[in-house]
Amino acid sequence: MKNLAIATGNLSKSYGSKLALDALSLEVAAGEVFGLLGHNGAGKTTTVNVLTTLLEPTHGNAEVAGHSVTADAMAVRRAIGYLPENVQFYDSLTLMENLRFFAQLSGLSRPDQRIGDVLRILDFEGQERQRLGSFSKGMRQRVGIAQAILHSPSVLFLDEPTSGLDPEGVRTLRETIVRLNSEFGMTIFMNTHLLSEVTKTCTSIGILRGGKLVHQDTLAQTLADFPGEDSLEQIYFQLESEQVS
Amino acid sequence: MNTFLVSARHEMLNTRRARTAHLLLIVFIGMVIASSVIGWVTNQTVTGIYEKVVADGLTMAPNPFTGVTPLYYTRNAVIYVLLIGSLMAIVLGVQSTLRDRKMSTADLILSRPVNSSARLIGQLAGLGAVLAAVISISLSVSWVIVSIINRAPLGWADTGRIIAFGLLSWVLLMTFALLGMLSGLRSKRETTALLVPFVIWSAVAFVLPQIGTAARPVSLLNPVPAVSSTGGYFDVVSAITGPLSVTEQFKRASSIILQDSAVTGSATPSILILLAYLAVMTVIVVATPRNRMRSGLHE
Repeated sequence: MKNLAIATGNLSKSYGSKLALDALSLEVAAGEVFGLLGHNGAGKTTTVNVLTTLLEPTHGNAEVAGHSVTADAMAVRRAIGYLPENVQFYDSLTLMENLRFFAQLSGLSRPDQRIGDVLRILDFEGQERQRLGSFSKGMRQRVGIAQAILHSPSVLFLDEPTSGLDPEGVRTLRETIVRLNSEFGMTIFMNTHLLSEVTKTCTSIGILRGGKLVHQDTLAQTLADFPGEDSLEQIYFQLESEQVS
Repeated sequence: MNTFLVSARHEMLNTRRARTAHLLLIVFIGMVIASSVIGWVTNQTVTGIYEKVVADGLTMAPNPFTGVTPLYYTRNAVIYVLLIGSLMAIVLGVQSTLRDRKMSTADLILSRPVNSSARLIGQLAGLGAVLAAVISISLSVSWVIVSIINRAPLGWADTGRIIAFGLLSWVLLMTFALLGMLSGLRSKRETTALLVPFVIWSAVAFVLPQIGTAARPVSLLNPVPAVSSTGGYFDVVSAITGPLSVTEQFKRASSIILQDSAVTGSATPSILILLAYLAVMTVIVVATPRNRMRSGLHE
């Protein structure tokens, strides 16, 4: 039996009369890098917001790291790290002050040692006293990763992590994600619409369309199931068109 | 370290680094100190002229400053707390809650094992500490200047009155800081987040007292409360608008505490009204739902 990091059953979320998530049933095994694909407005961010306990589902249930997102939200929050899309930080504070704040909110009483370790992992050594106002977009995304892993979460949620990054920033971030998964065993749940990144980073994928999950499998199996197609992009559009027809 | 303490410390650090807050703090401290200096200069000027007039044998009247209480020189601080202090508190309050919505850090914070009420109370405590520091610095300098004017340190009784005035100022400024926090949490745009509490403040400070007293707007800049007009309409309206005008209640209580001879009676009813405002605003802000704390701006 698989050890599941994330499991949802008939998960729905409505905003007034608009149904953003429609009976989503999804499983992500521990230790995977899972990529949730879909067009803008498909429901990817809503899915992450429900799984990170920022939104309450309208119907259905979801468990993250073995805890219910509704009945035991605090336990879920202790087990996860999260990097939202386009997040900014406190520009007038230094890197160390920003990270110390988030570490203490996560319950680390003496966080400086752990912050030092995380800064080494993310190649930020010597920049602790720099204010974040002077950091590039790529560096800020890595700060985002740093704040998300300070408390050694078992599941890491990343919402469009490569959005707005230059090619160098994308490559650095991709390497960081792969390293966090392979060296530290973190399960990573990543929202994206960049298919090329999914191919290089993810071990399994799901495709969301109009709030419904239209496909879920490992990346290798997905590629094997479509022998006539030579890229994930072609498979993605074929799955999309099948659902439309 | 718990959410309350972490949030309080973080709020103090952010305020210390914010440029707008710096500017307002400097202006406020400067004006409160200036009120004492102006009192001192007035005393020196009037006494100088008086001594010249007496030497010329043109008057036998006593020096107008004879018998004036030492705290007379701090009375203008009442109006500076009301005008500049309140605006400063509103700006700090708006910034504290709007910051996390504007930068999406609210999502980071609320995805942590954080109780949202503890977070808001912590932010409020941080603002309270900043405002307490500002008031303490201003009134300490004021104490020194008044002691210099009197050529002797102020006694315990007068020092106690200055401390009581400081506490009352803190209560008023916290109420306006809470108004700012509430606006920062509820507004859909950054501009309205600042504009709405400013409009409410001006209505409370200028419109409400005018309705109940028929006072001229400029007279509302006096450090003592406007005198109610008498008559059927004014009796009824001032009974309703009086308790609502938190700024007039502050002026009244402060004038009594600072022994301004123009105001008599007990300060207790006004102090209770100010405390009631503070309590109600605190409950409203702390009860803000989690979803509201992270709602994005429509910019």
